[in-house]
Amino acid sequence: MAEEKYLVALKEAILNLDYGAVVKAAKEAMGAGVDPLRAVTDGMAPGMSIIGEKFETGEYYLAELVVAGDVMREGMKVINPYIKEEGSKTRKKMVIATVEGDMHDIGKSIVATLLIARGFEVVDLGVDVPAARIIDVVNEHKPAILGLSALLTVTMPKMGEVIAALRAAGLRKKVKVIIGGPSVSAKFAEGIGADHSSTNAVEGVEKCKDWVKEGG
Amino acid sequence: MTRRERIMAASRKGRVDRLPFLHCWRHSQIGWAERECRNRGMGISWARPCYIMKMHNVDSTEEQVVSTGEVVVRRTYSTPMGSVYLDEKREPGVGQWHAQRSWKDVMPWQKKRLIQEPEDYEVVKYMVDNTEYIPDYFPIEQAKEWLGEDGVVMSWIPKTPMALLMIEWIGSEEGRFYIHHARYRDKVEGLYEAMSKSLEPLYEIAARSPADIIWIPENLEGYLVNPRLFEKYFMPEYEKCARVLHKHGKLLAVHMDGRLGVLKDLIAKSPIDIIEALHPPPVGDLPISEALSIWKDKVIWVGYPGAVYTLGPEAVKKHALDLLRSVVPGDRLVIEMSTENLVSNENLLMLTSILENVELPLTEEKIDRIERSLS
Repeated sequence: MAEEKYLVALKEAILNLDYGAVVKAAKEAMGAGVDPLRAVTDGMAPGMSIIGEKFETGEYYLAELVVAGDVMREGMKVINPYIKEEGSKTRKKMVIATVEGDMHDIGKSIVATLLIARGFEVVDLGVDVPAARIIDVVNEHKPAILGLSALLTVTMPKMGEVIAALRAAGLRKKVKVIIGGPSVSAKFAEGIGADHSSTNAVEGVEKCKDWVKEGG
Repeated sequence: MTRRERIMAASRKGRVDRLPFLHCWRHSQIGWAERECRNRGMGISWARPCYIMKMHNVDSTEEQVVSTGEVVVRRTYSTPMGSVYLDEKREPGVGQWHAQRSWKDVMPWQKKRLIQEPEDYEVVKYMVDNTEYIPDYFPIEQAKEWLGEDGVVMSWIPKTPMALLMIEWIGSEEGRFYIHHARYRDKVEGLYEAMSKSLEPLYEIAARSPADIIWIPENLEGYLVNPRLFEKYFMPEYEKCARVLHKHGKLLAVHMDGRLGVLKDLIAKSPIDIIEALHPPPVGDLPISEALSIWKDKVIWVGYPGAVYTLGPEAVKKHALDLLRSVVPGDRLVIEMSTENLVSNENLLMLTSILENVELPLTEEKIDRIERSLS
């Protein structure tokens, strides 16, 4: 029961988008011996989850979603050193990137932040990421899902190149691939060998959650 | 009517004999298909600067460097307050086609932004405070002479301050702008105010230019710019700019090719005359018919969606006919064939074969006739 007040403080700090408060709450929680994983999953993550829901219903915008994610990262800096290796392995991992030649970030960042809010551990490679780098990171992190984003119609074929490289590296069957962007379609996804396409961040995140549930 | 007259009459909400359609110079191919389409009624729009810009006490140098394993061009600005730099990735071919683009229509990418750390704000503010805009109408006069009645020349001015900060100087990758706005609010707003003040003389220069339309390459996107940000930082700038332009009888066009649904009511209240490059679904989220009904005092230049072009000429035909049916009687509209990527000859010809026959006022019967003529 004593842990509850620390967890509430962490959640409130996220909801208030308060950098100072999250650091203070995280330090106090760790100082009081709160389980660091609980501080994340039962403290900050529920706050992120509420922010994510408000974003999905249109009450909050991308600004709030991004800043909440940044506030959580600030809290994680305090908590991370206390999390043991085994604990971090229990969270489902996803690697996400905007493909080479494309500098567009908004859609990818929305998906990444919503996934964090849903309890995923997200490795965000950023924008303009070459296929070789994506393969290296998939090899290293062994994620359950790989998310590829492209806004430009000229860069969409790069998503196919990444999937071909996954195949060549013998990784394709080990990871689900979801593609996103305003111009992707089920037909395009099928053509390049992706498992799912989405033009909508919320729908895409739901699909990832379903996959993880199916996978146990 | 000539192509120029049509575009301008529609842009001023006047009577037009046919639906104006055009290609943007910086996206347009050159050759037999483009010539044929122009002979069949397609106009050209050309945005050119009306000023030259000088930064006093600021040295600028460029060098090629390797940054995070990549060759980039680093531009460094040195001022008495310190220096800042940005890194640009230039794909092969950049600068060898229209308007700094490559033959694939790709612009240089900024890999590192001008503002990276909190201390950079002071340096950039110094640059802004020491920027002078000087009228230079030659590029517009020259383009007007070259184009004649084939199209319109617009005066190009920079993005409004917060758009410039969001998209170029701070950048939006990984939420950078929002994070800076949350962490360093005073610095962001201090720079915004300096930029806004610095642009005031430029609005007067643009208003006195020989172009009838003043164009801001804003790239407005409702996901990035939420209504709160729009109201606080964008609307006042549009109002300031439009006040000056309207005094001189000029039109304010703002490039808005993103999803605008969330901003539609605020845009309706803005003094913007032309919503340039509004993309209908599936790329945008606001159907043109809805935009026309909400923005009753505005003219829409429709940006044709690249996603439809990727599906080929038959899909273009269906989409264009559906679009026409949704906008009857076709007032306050100009169709831009250009998109974020190049347009193939086949797609350009297909769209032209529809649009060249669109007499106004548009009716269902006229659209049926066009459809029959294509089958």
